[in-house]
Amino acid sequence: MNSNNDNHVIRVEGLTKSFGDNQVLKDINFDVNKGDVIAVIGSSGSGKSTLLRCLIDLEQADGGTIEIEGRRLVSDGVHADNKEKRAVIAEMGMVFQHFNLFPHLSVRENLELAPKLRSVGTEREIEDRTAYYLDKVGLSERIDAMPSTLSGGEKQRVAIARALMMRPDILLFDEPTSALDPELTGEVLKVMEKLAQEHMTMIVVTHEMSFARSAASKILFMNQGIILEEGTPDEIFMNPKQPRTKEFLSSIER
Amino acid sequence: MSWDYIVTLFVPLIQGAGMTLAVFAVTFILSLPLGFCVTLQLNSRHSFTHWFAETYVYILRGTPLLLQILFVYFGLPLIPGIGPYLTFSRFTAACVAFVLNYAAYFGEIFRGGLLAIDPGQYEASKVLGLTRFETMTKVVIPQMIRVCLPSISNETITLLKDTALVTVIGVAEILHYAKTEVNRDGTPFPFVLAAILYLIINFVITFIFKKLEKKYEQ
Ligand SMILES: Nc1ncnc2c1ncn2[C@@H]1O[C@H](COP(=O)(O)OP(=O)(O)O)[C@@H](O)[C@H]1O
Ligand SMILES: [Mg+2]
Repeated sequence: MNSNNDNHVIRVEGLTKSFGDNQVLKDINFDVNKGDVIAVIGSSGSGKSTLLRCLIDLEQADGGTIEIEGRRLVSDGVHADNKEKRAVIAEMGMVFQHFNLFPHLSVRENLELAPKLRSVGTEREIEDRTAYYLDKVGLSERIDAMPSTLSGGEKQRVAIARALMMRPDILLFDEPTSALDPELTGEVLKVMEKLAQEHMTMIVVTHEMSFARSAASKILFMNQGIILEEGTPDEIFMNPKQPRTKEFLSSIER
Repeated sequence: MSWDYIVTLFVPLIQGAGMTLAVFAVTFILSLPLGFCVTLQLNSRHSFTHWFAETYVYILRGTPLLLQILFVYFGLPLIPGIGPYLTFSRFTAACVAFVLNYAAYFGEIFRGGLLAIDPGQYEASKVLGLTRFETMTKVVIPQMIRVCLPSISNETITLLKDTALVTVIGVAEILHYAKTEVNRDGTPFPFVLAAILYLIINFVITFIFKKLEKKYEQ
């Protein structure tokens, strides 16, 4: 893996975040290179979602630095102004555990609302992209469906297509399959694996260890607000150094 | 009773219906946006505006609309100093009282609708780069309307019936003419005609709202 600084699309340094007295993130440091697929694992409550949400400003970091493609969202605890933040956020897309599709809009309208408002391409380009990404997630024939008529797996694939419509350089996923019936997780993971093969930079919070093992270039194991261990899937799964990592992996493999 | 007689009774009522619909339309058109402003203030973190909106809603929902109409028409002009500026015609006074009153009710309805919006909708909007205004107009309000439509529909039918109250300050609407005819001819029949007129208007309003609810259901 290339650790040349210029390749870093995300750089996080000394990130901290508390909710009241509860310090949820304690000195988080990591880098992401272009094309990396980072799997963030760890037990519930360890701060995985909060970390992801800080990266895209859904939570505001208390301290530290978050740099996305060379631009700072937060610099030593000082937040960028709103205009700069909007520009930084625009580099990223996010896929939520509960999809968060717009229920009053059809699949097509869900995909096209933001790109049309932000003029990400001409109207014609946007419509072509809708067709392209719906085909990519295998839902071309559901283009005029309302979200309430879709299965969970279909909803999440629409949500992924919706995020891609904004041409993000980085995609963040927060437990994208946790709300799905087990038999529907495969179709979503398949789409994510395809994106990984196409070298989309992704950070994926997940409990799907088989996905982490096969698709991730790097694993971050979070425990009580810190990254306790990081490494390649082989290093983490075959040869974890920390006892806590071993314990977590064996608890999840059962 | 001849048809001709019924028609002579009916013509003034139709004229009154024009006034009823005028009060109804002005109130409906102005109190919905004003009610939404009230909702935003109810949800504001600024403690003064929040307190002001709460008090506003409390007073207007807690006192009779009839009293509010009388107060606007007869009471406001008597306030020392500003009274002369608050002297309205019958029609204007009726509209002022109705708009203020219904804004409070619609504000409460919208508050419920706003609470029903999943926080994830705001998060998805932000992550997709929508401005706050776009988030409101393209994501939140359309969903809020769907949630609120049945309550708005109920309230709108109540509004139509409430317009009869403005007869108390002599606004010449349906009931005003019906009463005049009843007193003049000594028959309750004009009241029946008035009731039929209200029912017809209500039928139309209900029909429109049913269509809207169809359109907004997903
Ligand atoms: N908005 C919030 N307000 C207060 N506490 C929160 C909030 N979000 C998360 N937390 C707390 O932060 C801790 C970490 O939560 P989270 O980042 O969701 O963990 P994970 O995603 O790893 O399960 C938990 O103790 C949780 O209760
Ligand atoms: Mg989480």
